[in-house]
Amino acid sequence: MTPQPTDRCRQPLEQVSRYLDGDLSAAQRRTVGQHLRRCPCCQHMADSLKHTVDTCHKAGGARLPADVRSRARARIATLLASGAVPPRRA
Amino acid sequence: MQQSRVRFHRRLARLAAAPIRGRIAGVVTDGRNVNPSTSTRSARETDYGALVRAAQGGSQQAMERLLMRAQEIAYRFSLHVCGHADDADDAMQEALLKTYRHAAQIKEPDAFRTWLYRTVKNACLISRRKRVHEPGRLESLDEVVEHADGSVQGIDVPDPGRRPDEVLENSRLRRSLHRALQSLGPEYRLIVFLREVEGLSTREVAQVVGISEANVKTRLHRARLSLRQQLESP
Repeated sequence: MTPQPTDRCRQPLEQVSRYLDGDLSAAQRRTVGQHLRRCPCCQHMADSLKHTVDTCHKAGGARLPADVRSRARARIATLLASGAVPPRRA
Repeated sequence: MQQSRVRFHRRLARLAAAPIRGRIAGVVTDGRNVNPSTSTRSARETDYGALVRAAQGGSQQAMERLLMRAQEIAYRFSLHVCGHADDADDAMQEALLKTYRHAAQIKEPDAFRTWLYRTVKNACLISRRKRVHEPGRLESLDEVVEHADGSVQGIDVPDPGRRPDEVLENSRLRRSLHRALQSLGPEYRLIVFLREVEGLSTREVAQVVGISEANVKTRLHRARLSLRQQLESP
């Protein structure tokens, strides 16, 4: 059974995203880190959020579907072969 | 799809007919067969400032990479934020043409990345508004099919460097992420897409969306909590 958060978990839970992003001051980071080590509920939440963030990161590295990629490539070829010239900076 | 192609060629004709104010000086091609989509660097790792400077210096290879990156971003934006891959072609065309016209003019190449995301965001939203009354044809991530023999057919390009189980795992991952993202409100979906999927910094997200950095952080935390629930639910 997953442990439930208590009143003492409220602040660390609000800061857990910034903790994962390395966006807390040294003192805040220490406080949240200490709480996570003592509280299985918040540690579970932090691990789970990290997994969520990692899942999103993986989606960013995904490749385009083959047909979409081939249309994109064809558009570039058509554009560059069209003689259209990009306006230059004055 | 056909209409989309016709619109592209019309816009291209207008672009070609526009008065020429100058050509990219001395377009340099190094003679290699440049395929912009085979770059080993992902969009997340792309140094857009360097690409823009190279394109402005006349590198056709750099211009091709920029144009491909712009279209990749527009595709992912259509899919993940708008939730409609059928809008992607229009958005990709818009991103392509605007990038082509803008890349040679930009004064601060390092600001190109946020400009590109703003442009794609506007292109996708305009495209969605135009089509809002049309019947939707969702080219969904659900098109990934796992056959009885364990082989996988999906939207991922077959890549000899990736094992079938990796392809399947990525496809499942993307399907569940796609569903989880669609469960978020649009303002949260946009933040998650820019920050987590595309890897923009908090400051860049704030610039693209037009809100404060503090607001980005607050929304991101709420969105992560909601996404987590969605991804963990069976």
